[in-house]
Amino acid sequence: MISLKNLTKVYGHGEQSLTVLDNLDVDVANGEILAIVGPSGAGKSTLAQCINLLERPTSGQVIVNGEDLAQLPERKLRVARRRIGTVFQSASLLSRRTAAENIALPLQYLGVTPAETKARVGELLERVGLSHRANHYPFELSGGQLQRVGIARALALRPAVLLSDEATSGLDPETTRSVVSLLRQLRDDLDLAVVFITHEMDTVLHVADSAARLENGRITEQGSLVDLLTDHDSALGRALQPHLSPAEPEAGSSLWHVTYDSRKVPSDWLQLVSAELGEPVALLAATIQSIDGTSTGNATVGLRAPAHLATAAFARHGLRAIPGELAIANAALDHSSDTRATEDLQWA
Amino acid sequence: MGINISSAVQVHALSDTALAELPSLLVPALGETLAMVGIVMLIVIVVGTPIAVALHNMAPGGLFERQGTYSVLSWIVNIGRSLPFLVLMAAIVPFTRFITGTNIGIAAAVVPMSLAGIPFFARLVENCLRDVPLSVTAAARASGGSPLQIIRTAQLGEAVPAILGGLTINTIAMIEYSAIAGTIGAGGIGYVAVTYGYQRFDNTVMLATVILLILMVTIVQLTGDALVRAATPHLSRRK
Ligand SMILES: Nc1ncnc2c1ncn2[C@@H]1O[C@H](COP(=O)(O)OP(=O)(O)O)[C@@H](O)[C@H]1O
Ligand SMILES: [Mg+2]
Repeated sequence: MISLKNLTKVYGHGEQSLTVLDNLDVDVANGEILAIVGPSGAGKSTLAQCINLLERPTSGQVIVNGEDLAQLPERKLRVARRRIGTVFQSASLLSRRTAAENIALPLQYLGVTPAETKARVGELLERVGLSHRANHYPFELSGGQLQRVGIARALALRPAVLLSDEATSGLDPETTRSVVSLLRQLRDDLDLAVVFITHEMDTVLHVADSAARLENGRITEQGSLVDLLTDHDSALGRALQPHLSPAEPEAGSSLWHVTYDSRKVPSDWLQLVSAELGEPVALLAATIQSIDGTSTGNATVGLRAPAHLATAAFARHGLRAIPGELAIANAALDHSSDTRATEDLQWA
Repeated sequence: MGINISSAVQVHALSDTALAELPSLLVPALGETLAMVGIVMLIVIVVGTPIAVALHNMAPGGLFERQGTYSVLSWIVNIGRSLPFLVLMAAIVPFTRFITGTNIGIAAAVVPMSLAGIPFFARLVENCLRDVPLSVTAAARASGGSPLQIIRTAQLGEAVPAILGGLTINTIAMIEYSAIAGTIGAGGIGYVAVTYGYQRFDNTVMLATVILLILMVTIVQLTGDALVRAATPHLSRRK
């Protein structure tokens, strides 16, 4: 369990001071993976450094298992830091040490006996699936394998929290997926609280239970993945959706973007809405994600019914719908639904 | 006429040492050079490395940033780097005599050579440390290392191949300095080259010392290269 409370980081002094993190409140429970996303320069790496206390927060608390680490003196901090394992972007291994020797580094620093170290390193290598690469040097390992060594090193001292700053950035999609599934596996086995920082939206869907968006040093949105994905008002939820390129709707029909989740919406919603509107609703593009047993759907459909009827039909079946560009154009021409039309325009 | 001939013969005898006599002249000189360079390099490594580590870690982004101390130390190192060796050697004669009680011989050469070598080596090593990615130091800190552990394993440990390269450059520079020190009577190959080759136009000795110096530098360079290779996994483990 890790909690950040009112975490603030200011670089510089006086006129030139720059508030990089502004009063952040974040909680990650044991067994939870929180993805922190945000554009480059948002303050993600600064946040990572404040979490493992490589940088001191200007104010606020970093609470791990009930103890605030932010105020500890340097010497105690070195001990406390063992509760947080960090995985770095480029793995940052020692190039002149083998995989096993790299994983042993935190144990060596701690003064663990060689016999114990050997046993623990063997265990960790097995956990990350690299027993057969124990004596390989970093230059002999692939990007994914380097990250696995980095993860094993981060776990060497049995931390409660695993922190990853862009650990999968720069890896190809397949390798990213395998590293991510390793992280999920470790989270389950070791009941870790995982803070997964990335600028890659695609990865978030595969790794996280919840997500927070960091922008200009503030958390602008935060929530479980399921909630974010089904919330039309959520910029983060929309950003997390895969990009769809819908087929052209038939002439005269208008485009609607629909999202739903299986907790509220029956899986045959397309038929139900079609029946209600008395016309076949055309499916132009769709994706369905399954997250923790809940499916969330994201679809683009085409239909001819007037906007107010369509909106009502979608709403009745628990779907959230907003008109696409063509629907707005049609709605604007449709004088019978004047109030709707202005609202629709505001959506655009 | 006779005088002329005899003087010509004498000059001839003076200027060209017989090949058979070369070893008795050059072997002791070689020993002196090796002693000078060896002692100096030992001092240079022992004193220069901590200075480099201090410079690197007191600079912004280092393990113990100290802007003020860094500037002072850096300035002192720059002074040591800015004087040509011959000038430095002459300028510190009183200091050398104070330390060693003499201003000729190996002991007297070691003082100015060390003073020139230490800042040189410190800057070389500082550069090597700067080339170690910051994220490696960060990873070592995140792994719970103390500053000393981090310096040893992550900073110096990662920089070993580069430092060995710097050590090679530094050793060769010290061989050169030892030859310059030879001109003030420090002994060694340089001394032989100057007194026999230069002052007495002894071409055999001149040539022999030149060949010897080239050989020494070549051996040092080849040894250094081999050490760098051995210390670099991707060079030593190439299949
Ligand atoms: N040591 C530092 N001193 C001053 N400004 C910094 C420092 N580190 C980062 N910053 C600034 O903080 C902001 C956020 O940087 P960073 O945390 O690296 O963002 P991200 O990882 O999201 O790309 C940037 O504007 C950057 O210039
Ligand atoms: Mg970053």
